[in-house]
Amino acid sequence: MNNKTLLTGLTITILMLLATLFGPYLSPHGADEQLKIHYDAAQNTVIAPPAPPGGEYPLGTDKLGYDMLAIMLDGAKYTILLSVAIALFRVLIGGIIGLILGYYGKEKKGRTGQFSMWSLLNGIPVFIIAWMIMVGISMNPSVSPAYLAFLLAVVLAIIGIPSVAATIQEKAIVVREKQFVLSAKALGASPWAIVRRHIFPSIKENVIILFVQEAVLVLGLFGQLAIFHIFVGGTVRYLDPFLPPIYISRSNEWSGLIGQARNMFYVYQWILLVPLIGYVLYIVGFHLISVGLEKKYKKKYAKFAQI
Amino acid sequence: MPKAIQLTLIVPAILLFVFLFAMFPIVLQADQQWHWNEGFSSIRDYFAGIGSGESFRYLAGKTELSFWEQIGANFKTTLFYVSIGSAAGTLIGLLLGVYFGVSRREGLKRFVELTSVLPDFVVIILLQFLIVFIYSKTDWLVFEVASTSRDDPAIGLPLISAIIIPANYMLRNVAMHMGHTLSEDYISYAKARGLGKTYIVFFHALPNVLPYVKADLHKFMGIMFGNLFIFEYLYNISGLSMMVFNNAFADEGYQYSLVVNGVVALLVLYLIVYAWQRLLLYGIEKVFAR
Repeated sequence: MNNKTLLTGLTITILMLLATLFGPYLSPHGADEQLKIHYDAAQNTVIAPPAPPGGEYPLGTDKLGYDMLAIMLDGAKYTILLSVAIALFRVLIGGIIGLILGYYGKEKKGRTGQFSMWSLLNGIPVFIIAWMIMVGISMNPSVSPAYLAFLLAVVLAIIGIPSVAATIQEKAIVVREKQFVLSAKALGASPWAIVRRHIFPSIKENVIILFVQEAVLVLGLFGQLAIFHIFVGGTVRYLDPFLPPIYISRSNEWSGLIGQARNMFYVYQWILLVPLIGYVLYIVGFHLISVGLEKKYKKKYAKFAQI
Repeated sequence: MPKAIQLTLIVPAILLFVFLFAMFPIVLQADQQWHWNEGFSSIRDYFAGIGSGESFRYLAGKTELSFWEQIGANFKTTLFYVSIGSAAGTLIGLLLGVYFGVSRREGLKRFVELTSVLPDFVVIILLQFLIVFIYSKTDWLVFEVASTSRDDPAIGLPLISAIIIPANYMLRNVAMHMGHTLSEDYISYAKARGLGKTYIVFFHALPNVLPYVKADLHKFMGIMFGNLFIFEYLYNISGLSMMVFNNAFADEGYQYSLVVNGVVALLVLYLIVYAWQRLLLYGIEKVFAR
């Protein structure tokens, strides 16, 4: 395969997937193992968390003394598997709706850039909608992290479906006008057969790329929600009358780890940097896959600049 | 339906959406039950409170404040960042996009594309990290990392982030359409007529790219408004979104009326910035299209 971009992206993603599945069995510490404040007689020092990276803790520990590597591996299943699952659901449902609308629907008319009052609602960002829905049930919840993560996944999937459906519909309309669809119709093919055998195969590549891009968007939403203290799997909030409230992620999901440590760029920087690097690396992996696929598919059709 | 009726119907519809939207945290609570009654009674309370002014007071921590007194300064701060960010972002993005559409520097293009997939908060945190890193190495504080108080706001770094995130989106969009436009036949025709490269790019290709930019304006604005929340929060800027969503949960719980007022103010801001963007694009069109 002469496509280094695609290969790099796939390697990163598959390595992370393997780490998610098998990492917890190989890591030196467990996710619930805590480094407590203790006196080390041999070195004559008091050891207190957070421990810096290196030595016994390869990526250091967080403020509470949990091993960063262990909690990253613990949270990885949420970051990695859930983002893919949400993207898959969005593309599946949105794709079916888009194909149906693309086959039966009418082409949108109207001038480009026209102002309709509905577009005002663009001013309310998507993650704020998700935030409003989740904020009531995410703070100090009684249900399990997995259940709450599932609820968030449903919300994020539903929010994303309309845009996926619109994209697929647009592509489907273009294909619908092609000669071979017309001939299939003349031969008496049913609408379902036309969608399945003619329209879907010609936009298959776009759907795959869309899926990868949706996964990146979902990860972005996880992160934006985490900045506002809505962590995947729920948030534990400690209120103190004299201090700002403290928010802790229940599931150790990566963007949650970023969100809870977002002020750590002065001291103990690794507590913020480690999850941030993991998160960025995962996004970059997906991005490279998407670019690589685009390169692979577009080589056939693309025209080139005249200048 | 005539246009006037459509318009008069759509404003209440949008307000209804805002009322329902602000109801979510009341209806969905930690006990996993639907609280529809409480939700609708909060709408009732809102209308009842308009006359007495109760709907325009909110709690910030434990202090009660008047919405009308606070909104002015916060609105102005946000408007400042958004209007400069959108205008500078559009201009920089447009020019760089033209450059990227024409140039063949693939490495640079790939780098820019990579930075554009990173979510806005990652970009901001990395910028803050960079400032701290430079300071720790050289003792030179390039910008303030975040505002410490309203009297001593950090301006440099927030302004940079307010510009580069929309600029990055605009750049990608323009570069992509520029690439498509340059592959058209009328470009090779213009070339055959012996017109200069710069002339073709700016007077033949760019005017055909601008409609796409205009059509994409709402998406562009959506990205900017999403970014607004993140960057006001991370830089601790007391703007509109901070005022609303930082105080949404005060001492006595969720403040329905504050969120409704704040979201309406946000939509007004959207209208203003949209008009401002259209004006800017109109100006750009006057320069390049004939």
